Amino acid sequence: MKKPRVAFFDFACCEGCQLQVANMGEAVLDIIGLIDVVEWREVMSEKWNGKLDVAIVEGSITDPHAVERIKQIRKRSKIVVALGSCATIGGVNGMKNNYVLDEIRQYVYGNSYQFFPTEATKAVHQVVKVDYFVNGCPVYIPELVAVLKAVLHGIPYDVPDYPVCVECKLNENVCMYDRKVACLGPVTRAGCNSWCINNGNICYGCRGMVSNPNEKGAQDVIAKYNISMDLIVNKMNMYNKCREIG
Amino acid sequence: MQYAILRKERFNDFIARLSEIQKLVAPVSKGYNNFAFEEVTTGDEIALKYIPTILPAKKFFLPRRETLLEFNDAKGANAEASVEYEPVTLFGLHTCDLSGIQCLNMVFSERPKDYNYITRKNKIILIGLECNEYCDEYASCHLVNASFPSGGYDLFFTDLGDYYVVHVNTPAGDEIIDKTESFEKAEVYQMNELKNLRDHKRKIFINEVPIDRSRIPELFDLSFSARVWKELEERCLACGNCTNVCPTCYCFDIIDEIGLNMKQGVRYRVWDSCQLEPFAKVAGGINFRKERSARQRHRYYRKFSYPVERFSRFFCTGCGRCTRTCMAGISLKETLNELIKESEDRVWRRWL
Amino acid sequence: MEKVVIINSSYRLKKAKILSTKKLTEKEKFFEIALSDGERIDHEPGQFVMISLLGIGEVPISVCSSPLIRDSFDICVRAVGKVTNSLHKLKRGSEIGIRGPYGKGFPIRMLEGNDLLIIAGGLGLAPLRSLITYVLDSRRDFGRVHILFGCKEPKELLFRDELEQWSERTDLHYACTVDRADADWAGNVGVITTLIPGVDIEPARTFAAIVGPPVMYNFVIKELLNKGIPENQIYLSFERHMKCGNGKCGRCQIQNLYCCQDGPVFNYEKIKNMSEAF
Repeated sequence: MKKPRVAFFDFACCEGCQLQVANMGEAVLDIIGLIDVVEWREVMSEKWNGKLDVAIVEGSITDPHAVERIKQIRKRSKIVVALGSCATIGGVNGMKNNYVLDEIRQYVYGNSYQFFPTEATKAVHQVVKVDYFVNGCPVYIPELVAVLKAVLHGIPYDVPDYPVCVECKLNENVCMYDRKVACLGPVTRAGCNSWCINNGNICYGCRGMVSNPNEKGAQDVIAKYNISMDLIVNKMNMYNKCREIG
Repeated sequence: MQYAILRKERFNDFIARLSEIQKLVAPVSKGYNNFAFEEVTTGDEIALKYIPTILPAKKFFLPRRETLLEFNDAKGANAEASVEYEPVTLFGLHTCDLSGIQCLNMVFSERPKDYNYITRKNKIILIGLECNEYCDEYASCHLVNASFPSGGYDLFFTDLGDYYVVHVNTPAGDEIIDKTESFEKAEVYQMNELKNLRDHKRKIFINEVPIDRSRIPELFDLSFSARVWKELEERCLACGNCTNVCPTCYCFDIIDEIGLNMKQGVRYRVWDSCQLEPFAKVAGGINFRKERSARQRHRYYRKFSYPVERFSRFFCTGCGRCTRTCMAGISLKETLNELIKESEDRVWRRWL
Repeated sequence: MEKVVIINSSYRLKKAKILSTKKLTEKEKFFEIALSDGERIDHEPGQFVMISLLGIGEVPISVCSSPLIRDSFDICVRAVGKVTNSLHKLKRGSEIGIRGPYGKGFPIRMLEGNDLLIIAGGLGLAPLRSLITYVLDSRRDFGRVHILFGCKEPKELLFRDELEQWSERTDLHYACTVDRADADWAGNVGVITTLIPGVDIEPARTFAAIVGPPVMYNFVIKELLNKGIPENQIYLSFERHMKCGNGKCGRCQIQNLYCCQDGPVFNYEKIKNMSEAF
């Protein structure tokens, strides 16, 4: 059987999720053995302009050039995998959408700002169809491996559609709310095995929200624990601003 | 020997010896008034005064992830069913948690039997620890008849000040008494003190919800369309905490995992929850319990109604974990109170 | 950690081979399957088996052949999920795993000597095909037999050859309808309930067997009750996502009943007040 042709691409991101791929340890060798990597800017200099079986895309889409480029990638790829928060939900780049675009363009590029067109930040699936989502900032290696296996197997990977609390409780962590600390676990999609909370941190919502969150209920909880709504909205917008685009 | 005495000055010695026999697990403090059953080797690690742990002891009987089948070649149907287990002694279980294990035993021993569970269960030694008073205001153990010991353990400890009276319930318990060499014969005065404590407990443990135990199934028969469920719809976050921490919730999902070589793999089961959105969804997309209200109602009926028909007992142990863990503040006692109030309203209306 | 093999685990698989496959519609495929050790699954019409593809998963699928065909059994699979899509890709000779049969099927012994009104909606014809072929193979044990079948569009008709044969038989009454016709369709147009008033039955001695999508049940049952068929002579089968088949995992629970053990075929009288059922 011919090995599937795979390429990695990056858009607006820190490239940390591609680094996670390299951090997979032994699994990366096994995977590399099963695929034919034709382009991966972070680790090799070759380029590939032909057809692809799998395009693994990191980063969010933030300017007209990127829109065009991702559309081209989609056209020549059988499968598109969105890798990491920037690609799956817009991620921290979405914070740009809090501002008037022209104002921040001027702020960043000064007088020559008109030469640098920009757009509201979008997740990859808000521009082209995405077949697989690997959420997280950065991606969680066991889930990354599970998704890659599903891709190679040709079967869908379902991102859990329940909150991080489920995994957190099973890990027997003391609830952040018991420690009087606001945490986004209750509305954030699981799949990371409550990685951050296991290590003493809160959930920042980097995996996006569950599909049917009880917003009214969440407000009651926020009130019960005496947390300001602004604080929660700000925390939420750090990763999830792009969900407003729909 | 049916009853034995362990003097408190010998407690640490006893625990040290007990932990030498096989892996010993007991409640330990995790801070912020949270506790967990974890491995211990010394008495000092154990939180003897504790409120129910984050997860109940079911995690030792039905691990959150457990392999059902292993295979070397995904093409085909050659798979081996096996169970992994670890002989373990659980020390310090309250009567609510012992009751929870009795519930699970019934479920998994019912035909078709679950040999994964049964094999593991037979390797676990259970040592109970009496609650001389309520742990906190969330408990409702008396309502469901779980405030006093009624079997389901090998040894059962009751703290009577300077010493523990220990009920020896099984040959395995007897063996521990022999092996640890820490026990004395119980004297008549000590047995009287035990009786006094139980008499005292009968005064302080009272029905936490104003309903006669035997009337609960009837209450639920009348409450399927109760207002309360609609109210829960607005509050529940569907996070599944209430079922994950419940000592008698045992629903699971079955998942296949395959190695990168696309050949070797396992089929395993993981805890699942009827409170989660995808639980009752079928492949075509229909969700048979789409509303959070229907899911919450299902949870309550699985504690107070359905198992009464099937196993003649409540599957609520009154431990209070679901209430403690609920961020939305959904309280089991309050829900029951609401149901009672609503059913009374209905009765009144009929008479007016 | 210690480990022991569990010989009598309820999750053990029986090996089976795909003897033949046939594409029935765009989404549905037919599989003829035999257990590799020559054993028989020995099912009742209405029961289901767990079909297992290692590394992908398991799905509950109704057996759609008569229990009288002993050497093999048939299933009809709609490609909707991970496992069913992968199953569709398998060819003749492939090995798969089987558990079961599970659950309670149609009460054949009780139906014998009575008239039957069999109503199928869409893929609901698959489990009913097991009952129908059994009835036709033991035709003299039953009274009058009516089969009503409805689906959305003509291109969704399953088992076309057999439908053709049924329509030609004189010892049964067969009628078919589609919700939306296409250019070639000359038959009835309308939802399945439109066929019921025209059926000539003696309600007291007629047993109804219904399988179809959830939305269908309320309407069909209302029509049957209008016809005067007693509640306890109506049987229906429910679709739920069984995972374990052993009445444990909780996935298929309808109030206090487990679809995998207490069903999937239920007597209407017993479940009519269960709001979670409909």
